[in-house]
Amino acid sequence: MTVRELCLTEDFKPLALPDGEREIKGVYIGDLLSWVMGRASADDAWITIMSNQNIVAVASLADTACIIVAEDVKLESEITDLALSKGVNILSSDKSIYETAVILSKLL
Amino acid sequence: MKELSLNILDITENSVKAGASLTEIFIDESDEKLVLTIIDNGCGMTDEVLKTVTDPFYTTRTTRKVGMGLPLLKMEAEQTGGRLSITSKHVSADADNHGTTVCAEFNKNHIDFTPLGDVVSTITTLIQGHPDTDFFYRHSFDVKEVSLDTRELRAVLDDVPLNTFEVIKWIEDNLKEQYLEA
Repeated sequence: MTVRELCLTEDFKPLALPDGEREIKGVYIGDLLSWVMGRASADDAWITIMSNQNIVAVASLADTACIIVAEDVKLESEITDLALSKGVNILSSDKSIYETAVILSKLL
Repeated sequence: MKELSLNILDITENSVKAGASLTEIFIDESDEKLVLTIIDNGCGMTDEVLKTVTDPFYTTRTTRKVGMGLPLLKMEAEQTGGRLSITSKHVSADADNHGTTVCAEFNKNHIDFTPLGDVVSTITTLIQGHPDTDFFYRHSFDVKEVSLDTRELRAVLDDVPLNTFEVIKWIEDNLKEQYLEA
């Protein structure tokens, strides 16, 4: 499933979608950025509640397919602008991290 | 990072890469605050570079010279309501007095405070990895303190390298002992 296709489902809203055709091949969950940096795999959808600009750098380094900011955490426009300019997809989910993962598990 | 001691390792690595002959690591703790200060006499940074070091994209994408260390440390300090400050003087500005000072302030009682972790291993690893540069370490809490100065060790050891197994083991045991007594 591509990131754009995921955005068409009711549970996910695009916050920045510069590369919607990215294929999602797995899921990673974590908030400790240094940990995620070393462990998330390329093409994962990464679920987090962190909202610092560093998430864009981590997603870029780990080459994840997209960041999913769960629990309806709001992002400042500078972060979505940064994501657009760096080619990093960010989606939002108003569900808990667990529920978001369960939904993904059914879709993928 | 999972422990502040890993941040110390990371930031100090920058100092060594900047050619520092001496890197000082201070941890000053009170009941509420922990202040981590790392001072080196390396080549320093120009004002232009200094402005970009907490921007993760400058560091990860263009040169990879510095790494994610400073952006992460800044985030960890700020998420406890603390702050990170960096001052630097580049060697081109003053050939006799240059280097970088990184200072991170944490509110220890904040729930998102990252624990200090195994700082003895950090200091030991640093010395083992860089036996030809000097480190001064001082961790003070209220009136007590733990400290280690490789310049003093070097003076006693003559030509024995600091990363000799026995020396490293002694450093590790000495630090552990100081912590037990403090």
